[in-house]
Amino acid sequence: MKLIKKHIPLAIVMIIGVLTLASYYVPHKTSVNYIEMMNKWENVVAAFAFLLGLISLFLSHYGKISRKADGWGYSIFVFIGFLAMVVPAFVSHGKQMTDAGLTPLGWSYRHIYTALQGTMFAVLAFYIVSTAYRSFRIKSLQAFVLFVAAFILILGKVPLGQIIWDSLLGWTGASSSDVIEWIMNTPAVAGKRGIMIGISIGAIVTSMKIIFGIEKQYLGKD
Amino acid sequence: MIRRGRGNRENLCENPCAGSMEKYILGDSMIKHKTSFIFVLALFAATNAFSAKPPVPAAKKTPPPAPAQAVSIPPVTGLKAADMPYDAGGAVMLEWDMRPGEAADTLYQVYVSSQETGGWIKAEEFPSSAKTAKEIELPFWAWDAAPARHALKVELANLFGEAKATGTVFHFKVSTIKGKASGDSAAVSAAAVSNWFRLDRLNNLLLLIVLIVVFFWAVSHAKRKGLFIRRIAGLDAIDEAIGRATEMGKPIYYVPGIGGMSGISTIASTFILGEVSKKVAQYDTQIKVPHFDPIVMTVCKEVVKQSFLEAGRPDSYREDINQFISQDQFSYAASVDGMITREKPAAIFFMGHFMAESLLLAEVGATSGAIQIAGTDVEHQLPFFFTACDYTLIGEELYAAGAYLSKEPMLLSALKVQDFGKLVVMTALFFGIILVSVGAKLHWDPLVSVILNLFKAY
Repeated sequence: MKLIKKHIPLAIVMIIGVLTLASYYVPHKTSVNYIEMMNKWENVVAAFAFLLGLISLFLSHYGKISRKADGWGYSIFVFIGFLAMVVPAFVSHGKQMTDAGLTPLGWSYRHIYTALQGTMFAVLAFYIVSTAYRSFRIKSLQAFVLFVAAFILILGKVPLGQIIWDSLLGWTGASSSDVIEWIMNTPAVAGKRGIMIGISIGAIVTSMKIIFGIEKQYLGKD
Repeated sequence: MIRRGRGNRENLCENPCAGSMEKYILGDSMIKHKTSFIFVLALFAATNAFSAKPPVPAAKKTPPPAPAQAVSIPPVTGLKAADMPYDAGGAVMLEWDMRPGEAADTLYQVYVSSQETGGWIKAEEFPSSAKTAKEIELPFWAWDAAPARHALKVELANLFGEAKATGTVFHFKVSTIKGKASGDSAAVSAAAVSNWFRLDRLNNLLLLIVLIVVFFWAVSHAKRKGLFIRRIAGLDAIDEAIGRATEMGKPIYYVPGIGGMSGISTIASTFILGEVSKKVAQYDTQIKVPHFDPIVMTVCKEVVKQSFLEAGRPDSYREDINQFISQDQFSYAASVDGMITREKPAAIFFMGHFMAESLLLAEVGATSGAIQIAGTDVEHQLPFFFTACDYTLIGEELYAAGAYLSKEPMLLSALKVQDFGKLVVMTALFFGIILVSVGAKLHWDPLVSVILNLFKAY
């Protein structure tokens, strides 16, 4: 049992991991074909997994409706939304546009899906404002530095800010756009690269932990 | 042209003069108007003297040019064709000697054919100053960029298709074009083959081997002695967050992001989920894990189930802990936001790969009053988590979290390898900056080139 549950999966992970790692150094056609094959397999697995996800979603919301759990009314919209996209897709044979114009699927996509997605994205703008307000509360030296950098950036991006900058700090010879460019290209990039180097090293080590079977929590423990 | 222009002018001038002279000499009126004759003669002589162009003897003697025909110039020398090294095939490298002092308007045209005679297709055309060996993007240990040679990578797949490009013998020639003159080289042949090793990535491979050696050393060292690991505030706060949820009797939300199972951050997130759900099971608190990716959901189900089992609370495990939401980014964000707003969880974990939905989720969580701990390796989403969450794990800390929480020596040892990697990078940066700066200042181009090659990804 342990062989099937532990050793064989670990061996598969190790072999596939080493082969995939080696493919980075082996440019041969065999290596390219192997990577293409793995990508295809991933897509096949994803397609079946999506079916599992759909079943999970329906069962979960069906359970809420049948139990009349709190907020069960929202669960009805899951089914309504599903039908509002899937039925037109079948009717329109998956096409959004024909010579006759917009198909029912195209209509649902444009007037339901895109509109809802746009609404969610628009909400982001308001959240950015409230987040900016929170981050501008100066509680520490780091918060102060963040505030100063953000303030200069905001000031430099609007015409009024540029006028204020020129009238107050014009004598320095540095325009607001110069300062913004320096902030974005020097300290911001330096910080970002530091994080990226750490991330890359962390990713390599995590991969090694998985390939060599040190980390096997995803298989469950003994 | 020259002959006709000048000759005609002279003829036109001389003949009337001669005619006039003849008339005046032979006619009776010549004697009567001797003075007038002399005056006219002088006038004509003066006119001729001033109007005539300087003599161009060579022009008169130049033989008529031959009919227009192509002028040939010397062809390129040292033309060689060989398989493009370190690639998957489908490309051939052509090399030939550079000619010092070649005119700037000289062009090279590279022709390729799959037949031994004829069937030439123009593959490339460029000025004689371009496509030198130095321009080939290969490091010094894999490519000799020093000789003054032209080097050109010919992509055969673009011209003859993928199937034919590798393994077939192709013929190449280079035409040198200067104005209307041209010169063709002799044809050379080569076939593109698939190579087995990227020698240009040798630096990368060596670094990987060093890291693997250090990795195994750290693992064996951890077994024997144990390792000191610095505290990570964001991870220490996990206990606090779960305790808070237990006291308040409210659920914990664990959001694994929108990454797939092949993403390192999502894998790291499942490790953290394992530890978090173990504690949740121990405290008998509720946890909810809304999913974007069905594969991640399937893996997380196993992870959570196993954690409940390890905590001795398999009875507390429910199938609806892990719930698939949607594979659409904003639908997912809207749904999770709705759940957070309605249920007002005591603690929310955002661990994994996040994009624009990061702020949508974190801001709603902050508004609901939950204690929030986030971790992602997407550096441009970190500022949003910094401002909206109580604790944020930056990139590598996310990868370290699973090991940190489990306290297993074998896993903790991997953190030492991360530290070693950072030490290598810091040392390389420090000395690299100094050497490159000094080299650039003193014009030690070979040194600068070697250092830059060593640290470049190919």
